[in-house]
Amino acid sequence: MANLTHHDDHGHGPIKQKQLIEEDIRERSYVPELVKGLAVTAKHFWKNLIGERDANTNVLERKGTSGVVTVNYPEEKVDYPDGYRGLHRLVPREDGKPRCVACYMCATICPAQCIYIEAGEYDSGDDAAESRVIEKYPKQFVIDELRCIVCGLCVDACPKDAIRMDTYTHTPSEYNRQGFVYDIPRLLKGPAVTHPSDPWYKRGNSEMPDHQHKEAHTRITAGNAALAQRSTNLVEVVKFTKP
Amino acid sequence: MRLGFLFISAALILGGGFSIMAAAYGLGGFVEGLGVEHLQMHGLSSLTNIAILMLGGVMVLATLLTMAERKWSALIQNRVGPNRIRVPIPGLKNNALFGLPHIAPDVLKMLSKEAFRPKAANKFLFSLAPMLAFGPVFALFAIVPAGPTLEVFGNKVVMAAANPDFGLLYLFAIASLAVYGTSLAGWSSNNKFALLGGIRASSQMISYEVGLGLSLVGMMIAFSTVRLAGAGGMAESQVAYLWSARLGSFDIGLPQWGIFLQPLGFLLFFAASFAETKRAPFDSPEGESEIVGYFLEYSGMQFGMFMISEFVEVVVLSGVLVTIFFGAWWLPFGNEWLQAQGLHSVLLGAIYGMVFWVKVVVLIFLQLLIRWTFPRFRYDQVQNLGWKILLPVGLANLFVTGALILWDPSLRYLALFGFVVMGFFAFLTLTPPRQVRQAEAAADDHGGHGHGGGHDDHAHDAHALPSSSH
Repeated sequence: MANLTHHDDHGHGPIKQKQLIEEDIRERSYVPELVKGLAVTAKHFWKNLIGERDANTNVLERKGTSGVVTVNYPEEKVDYPDGYRGLHRLVPREDGKPRCVACYMCATICPAQCIYIEAGEYDSGDDAAESRVIEKYPKQFVIDELRCIVCGLCVDACPKDAIRMDTYTHTPSEYNRQGFVYDIPRLLKGPAVTHPSDPWYKRGNSEMPDHQHKEAHTRITAGNAALAQRSTNLVEVVKFTKP
Repeated sequence: MRLGFLFISAALILGGGFSIMAAAYGLGGFVEGLGVEHLQMHGLSSLTNIAILMLGGVMVLATLLTMAERKWSALIQNRVGPNRIRVPIPGLKNNALFGLPHIAPDVLKMLSKEAFRPKAANKFLFSLAPMLAFGPVFALFAIVPAGPTLEVFGNKVVMAAANPDFGLLYLFAIASLAVYGTSLAGWSSNNKFALLGGIRASSQMISYEVGLGLSLVGMMIAFSTVRLAGAGGMAESQVAYLWSARLGSFDIGLPQWGIFLQPLGFLLFFAASFAETKRAPFDSPEGESEIVGYFLEYSGMQFGMFMISEFVEVVVLSGVLVTIFFGAWWLPFGNEWLQAQGLHSVLLGAIYGMVFWVKVVVLIFLQLLIRWTFPRFRYDQVQNLGWKILLPVGLANLFVTGALILWDPSLRYLALFGFVVMGFFAFLTLTPPRQVRQAEAAADDHGGHGHGGGHDDHAHDAHALPSSSH
């Protein structure tokens, strides 16, 4: 059985002849190569059957003896990378109300038109804390996550850092479409954010010294390290803790 | 933790085999007694054997295999496999139980799906084909004995559903019937791709069938019988030792199992019968991933019949292999000692039956390992293998076997020849192929040895090896 050559089938020219696997009884009789192949698969089988599985979601750093690299998804989740655009959130102020001032910037820029805002106005005669510096607030702020294309333009458009996509989760599944329509109670979550330029610091009774109130810097960026350094004690650019 | 589960599953396999066989022997003896007493007829225990061995043993194993195939293939490929269904059993609430609960929804899905039939299909043959594919495969197990013939409650119980004199011939006859189901399914669907699948199945059948028959003739000569079960059958004969010794009352030695007498016959039979099961590497009739197979138009439980017949065939093939080549239910040594212990016949039968089922499970594992290791043979490669390798090697094996048995009826020379064959394959497996050796030699050349000398070595090698293998 060893001399069943395949010269007749293929190689006519000398070039092709050279490229053919040279014949060896070990390969022509199948059996030794089959046994070696079986040894490889059997090794995998027993290793994965007996081996202890490391549940580390970072697969490359797993230490377990099992060769299985699967992450059991609903129970174990791989962390999303930094800067991942996830589910929206409305950023709260220190007092728990949304930073949003109902300017409609996000609703205007949204290419999918998935944001609906209904603005309300603070009564100027009211003595409540924010009434003198902030005129508008969202009575309703609704995002239809099914329409959202997760482009992040709303986050860029917002002048008040009131909408973010830093939740590091994707939109969870729901049983009906209405479940994907997120209103203020569902959107308003995560740590509060304060900026030195926030208007309530401009009030007369603020403890902040005047010279730190720079309206232009609504956000602390890496490029403006001096400002960030100056106001570390005030600024809390918090990254949402991953669940 | 993992090892604990392993022990539990091993205990389940052992316990399952033991209790099934204890029930088979107990009920068989009881029913046999009823038959002799009231109907004046022997062999009524075949009925309990059909119920317990074939429905309880083979079908349950085949059902479990549907999950084992998915789970074991996952382990081979570094995956997890099905583990989503969790049953709220107290204490095991969050345990996937090896994916076993998946069997229930699988079966439910098969049963509840629409059995679709193309408008232009041949109605009668289209419905007949799944039964024709399943029936013969299932019936094959009838002649496979799962335990020794024993006197239970004073009645002789043969642990096989049937024990005809023509034994293995029944096996060949029925096994080749299964291809009717396959090719009929391909033809009656009135679909050209299904038809091509059916034709591939028939061509494959023609290729392996001759080799399949020839490969077992050596065993028939060696034991001078074609029967499997019963006194003088192949299974009973394999308890005898080729060479034996005694440790007190305990007997050890080398039993005359088929694998020692006929390793070549085993390889040929295994390859041919693997082609019979239509599983990878011989799954060109279906090739579900690339080329569409003969059951293209089938859905629901009609497709399920094709699928389960494949798994039943795996179990049956394991049973046949164990019976012919791996000493049936016998332990490799200590059989005389065990039989001399004066155990109750039900207990003795259960122990031997358990051994049989354990061997079957081991061979099933081997088959699944092969199925998930080797790539598919092409249509023409199967024919090449069948006609140009299996047939001539089978013939040569037959002649050599016959001559050796004529020379030495005690089968010892045959076993020695078997060891030579096994040693030959072991040598081939353990030594690297010529290409590897050449590559190593070339690496040595670059490592500073004389280039000219290395080149001479190559030329010598290249000329020497093909001539020695001719």
